[in-house]
Amino acid sequence: MDAKLNELAKNFGRFKTAFIHNDFDTSANLLSDLKVMLTELSSLPPLYQDTPNAAKELEIARDIYEHAAILSVKIEDQDAFERDFFQLKHYYTDVRNRLPSSRHEYPILGLNLLRLLVQNRIAEFHTELELLSSTALEKPCIKHAVGLEQSLMEGAYNWVLHITLHARQTVPHESYVYFMDLLAKTVRDEIAGCSEKAYPYLSNKDAQRMLLFPYEHELLAYINEDHPEWEVKNGGVYFQEVEETVRCKEIPSLQLINQTLSYARELERIV
Amino acid sequence: MATLVSSAGGLLAMLNESRPELKLYALSNLNKLVDGFWPEISTSVPIIESLYEDEEFGQHQRQLAALLVSKVFYYLGELNDSLSYALGAGSLFDVSEDSYYIHTLLAKAIDEYASLKSKAAESNADAANVDPRLEAIVERMLNKCILDGKYQQAMGIAIECRRLDKLEEAIIKSDNVQGTLSYCINVSHSYVNLREYRREVLRLLVRVYQKLPSPDYLSICQCLMFLDEPEGVASILEKLLRSENKDDELLAYQIAFDLVENEHQAFLLNVRNRLSAPKAQPSEPVQPESSEVAQNEGSAPGDVQMTDGSSTTNVTVLEDPSEVMYSERLTKIKGILSGETSIKLTLQFLYSHNKSDLLILKTIKQSVEMRNSVCHSATIYANAIMHAGTTVDTFLRENLDWLSRATNWAKFSATAGLGVIHRGHLQQGRSLMAPYLPQGGAGGGGSPYSEGGALYALGLIHANHGEGIKQFLRDSLRSTNVEVIQHGACLGLGLSALGTADEEIYDDIKSVLYTDSAVAGEAAGISMGLLMVGTASEKASEMLTYAHETQHEKIIRGLALGIALTVYGREEEADTLIEQMTRDQDPILRYGGMYALALAYSGTANNKAIRQLLHFAVSDVSDDVRRTAVLALGFVLYSEPEQTPRIVSLLSESYNPHVRYGAALAVGISCAGTGLSEAISLLEPLTSDVVDFVRQGALIAMAMVMVQISEASDSRVGAFRRQLEKIILDKHEDTMSKMGAILASGILDAGGRNVTIRLLSKTKHDKVTAVVGLAVFSQFWYWYPLIYFLSLAFSPTALIGLNNDLKVPKFEFLSHAKPSLFEYPKPTTVATTTSAVKLPTAVLSTSAKATKARAKKEAADQKANPEKSAETSGKGKSSSEKDGDSMQVDSSTEKKPEPEPSFEILTNPARVVPAQEEYIKFLEESRYVPVKLAPSGFVLLRDLRPTEPEVLSLTDTPSSTASPAGGSATGQPGSASAMAVDEEPQPPQPFEYTV
Repeated sequence: MDAKLNELAKNFGRFKTAFIHNDFDTSANLLSDLKVMLTELSSLPPLYQDTPNAAKELEIARDIYEHAAILSVKIEDQDAFERDFFQLKHYYTDVRNRLPSSRHEYPILGLNLLRLLVQNRIAEFHTELELLSSTALEKPCIKHAVGLEQSLMEGAYNWVLHITLHARQTVPHESYVYFMDLLAKTVRDEIAGCSEKAYPYLSNKDAQRMLLFPYEHELLAYINEDHPEWEVKNGGVYFQEVEETVRCKEIPSLQLINQTLSYARELERIV
Repeated sequence: MATLVSSAGGLLAMLNESRPELKLYALSNLNKLVDGFWPEISTSVPIIESLYEDEEFGQHQRQLAALLVSKVFYYLGELNDSLSYALGAGSLFDVSEDSYYIHTLLAKAIDEYASLKSKAAESNADAANVDPRLEAIVERMLNKCILDGKYQQAMGIAIECRRLDKLEEAIIKSDNVQGTLSYCINVSHSYVNLREYRREVLRLLVRVYQKLPSPDYLSICQCLMFLDEPEGVASILEKLLRSENKDDELLAYQIAFDLVENEHQAFLLNVRNRLSAPKAQPSEPVQPESSEVAQNEGSAPGDVQMTDGSSTTNVTVLEDPSEVMYSERLTKIKGILSGETSIKLTLQFLYSHNKSDLLILKTIKQSVEMRNSVCHSATIYANAIMHAGTTVDTFLRENLDWLSRATNWAKFSATAGLGVIHRGHLQQGRSLMAPYLPQGGAGGGGSPYSEGGALYALGLIHANHGEGIKQFLRDSLRSTNVEVIQHGACLGLGLSALGTADEEIYDDIKSVLYTDSAVAGEAAGISMGLLMVGTASEKASEMLTYAHETQHEKIIRGLALGIALTVYGREEEADTLIEQMTRDQDPILRYGGMYALALAYSGTANNKAIRQLLHFAVSDVSDDVRRTAVLALGFVLYSEPEQTPRIVSLLSESYNPHVRYGAALAVGISCAGTGLSEAISLLEPLTSDVVDFVRQGALIAMAMVMVQISEASDSRVGAFRRQLEKIILDKHEDTMSKMGAILASGILDAGGRNVTIRLLSKTKHDKVTAVVGLAVFSQFWYWYPLIYFLSLAFSPTALIGLNNDLKVPKFEFLSHAKPSLFEYPKPTTVATTTSAVKLPTAVLSTSAKATKARAKKEAADQKANPEKSAETSGKGKSSSEKDGDSMQVDSSTEKKPEPEPSFEILTNPARVVPAQEEYIKFLEESRYVPVKLAPSGFVLLRDLRPTEPEVLSLTDTPSSTASPAGGSATGQPGSASAMAVDEEPQPPQPFEYTV
């Protein structure tokens, strides 16, 4: 083992202690140092040089990024999670057969799927899903996310909200909680979007029931925050009328006439 | 097994990290991966862009980001964005890297830079608005090219980008400065479109040339001629003439001959007048004067000059030997510069080598109906063209009776035809024409038509060298009121004073124009143009005004062509005038506008001009304008004949016969004398077009393309000759196409089979006279006598070696190709048509045996040298045809299948056709060494054994036309005795060299 790796392992140890003690600031600082140190190792992606310590280095790097991903969930930073996950992904795909499998792999993949759900990036969600092997799909962490997505697509918002709000104990991993909270809001946004199209207005009560808010003031707060364009009056919520898009466009008659005339002229000129 | 990266996602994510080290790491790795992962990276371009714009980021990182973005844009096909970011990448953009990205962007950068620079140059603004970073990249590229020794590339870029400083650097640093310079001259002629800029480049080249230790005066003088700086040429010539060294003297003569070849009369005059007279000699100042006077008198100026020169040397021999030598040489060079020497030599060559076939003319004459005056005069035209410049008028003399059937304008052109035949006969031209000329205003018995024709003939004889005849023509013009004579005199004056811009002559002609007579006015319009060729003078607007005033279409047409002639070669300077003409209401003026486009951009292959012409060719309402627009393409493109068939190929299939006609002539003009295969393929279907005048045009054009191409190099030449014969003999053929066929026969054998149509001199300059000649020639659509202008475009295909006395010594050189490839066509025989029919049936047992034996032998030959098999088989065919002709001489056919020698010794002066030039080699152990390794034209020879007596092979007075036995087949006794008056029937010569 060379000095760099030693140094790295030592720092990683310090990071882990801080991490376990939930000392997030210290661990974040240590983590960014670690990442910089990782850039000096040539066996890591994207270079993948075949150095003698490659396997060890890869393993420790994967470990670091896994911790980084979990840490970012803990400090509730979606962007950081996304970054860390993308960097981590190399270890799950490119060098899969060179490393022993990690116990964090499926939870983190599941977390990523959840994140995509929360951010309502359904296309990417499916892309990710396609890349997973059939064994991975069997894992509870993945199944959980897939189930949620299906319910969302079916429009079973009630069911989703029920899970997110009331069935917290069923989550397969403790770090999922953060995303479950966020998911509730995503679902509400969806419902709000649909209601907007479907109704000219809703009574407060209906709206509250529709959006599954336990209390009316929560509804009002939500409207204030996310949909300031809605009007709340007469005990009802009035949606902004969506402007009807013009169905059939005017026939571009002038343009067509001009075109035909020019064809005729060109025909005259054909040599 | 190495692991491969599957995605750039990780690195892209890393770009969002807060630590700059991580960003840098990601950037540099992305930069390595971009070739494979650009689709993924493209979604993150905004992030990378923001890194590039981030002021806090280090310089290196920002450049890296710029490079990365540039590459992504490159892959996305957004070259403009890519370039602007590549500029931001500064030195990281490595011009020496060998990748598609770098190559593409470099090209883009250079294009951009070049267009910016030329825009800046056009608007006369400073180059300040050019991005310095762009400039830096281009300069890096230039420096790299120079360092790598890719000078041609560097020069190309430098010229394109208007970086004359870099151009100079590239030339000076190159290891073969002479070669590079000549390359550069070529490039500047063929690729620099703007006239002004080309002048700048050439000026630079002259400067570089002069800095060299041993300047190449030949090239310098060519450049100076283009720049129109006679002083420079004169001083160089003077320096060379004053030199003690004989070689320098020869070089001076060579320069003079090369300049003369470009036919720039006004320039040559200037050079001649600027050569300083010898110093300290009392009798000298008179000398140039006297030669002028001699020329003005128009009688034997050459001889007078010679005696003059010798007399002065006699007088001044005691004063200063070097001055004496100089004055002697000066006399000679003035003779050359006036064009007299070359004209005299050419005349001698054409006379002595005349190979025209009178039987063809006889066949034409017999087959043409008496009453058909069009074909009658076409035969006269064909005769004139066939004998252009040979002074052989046997046919006319023998058929005076027949000739006298020409009346009115036919008489005019019959008389003018003599001028073509005697073209260049400066000494005796006037006396030859004397019987036809107007008799001193007394209004003698001659018909005005023959008098007018004679004046026109004088112009043709003295075309572009009219010093001696101008005055006479002016007097004739002034002293007559007959419009036919005025017509002839105007044309004659225009021809003899071509391009001199002589004000007095102009005024004389103008007064004729203002009489508003249609016949005289047309000639006056053309004549004014001829006078003002290439001067772009304001006279053009005067002419345009009159064209609007007059009622006569003929005058308008003449003026329109005249105006077009004035802008000859002026390129973009002429744009205003062209615009004015092409927008005119009057189709005849638009028609003139087409000619103006053709002539202003002649030989430049300028894209803008081509586009304009093509536009008019398909959009104008007048057929005349459309026809001319297509025809004009031929002029614009003659420097690149390969392009023309491709560009007009669609037009040649037009439904409009006028456009088809134009396409045929365009090909004929631009590919004249090249024998280009594509041109022939394009013209072939047109020669059997449904419309008669298209057939006419196609036949004429085909003849122009096939001038001097032998049947051995393209079998279609033979087929074409047979086709012509068939058309001429066919009673039911239309007059128009019959006329075309008769003219085509004339053109095909033009000038005794020793001239070709050439619009470019050997140094790639335009030959003014030739281009003007063809332009006016193409007017024959309206006015047949203008056909004679074609003779201006003829240039003899000869190599004439000269010693320092400007005499033709005996000198041999090598043509390293089979003689049959370039030999004269075989003379036609009376029985050609019948024998062609008999051929398949008449197979005698002996000849069959012979054929078999020959076939065997040929097969063996082909095996021996397969690459020549094609030629051998072609040869075999022609010789088997001969078998049919002369079956009774079986013994001679036995000899024929001897392998043809692969080379031929030619004797000075010799016929060297353009295609043959590449095979010409000078023998090493020869007594004479050429000053310039030119395969044709006038070549000065250095005598290595000056003490030995010289044998001259071309004397001043050729005794008879008996031509030296060439490699060609012998003349048939029957035809020779019947046709050629002073040609002895020659014994059948040994056909081949027997080994």
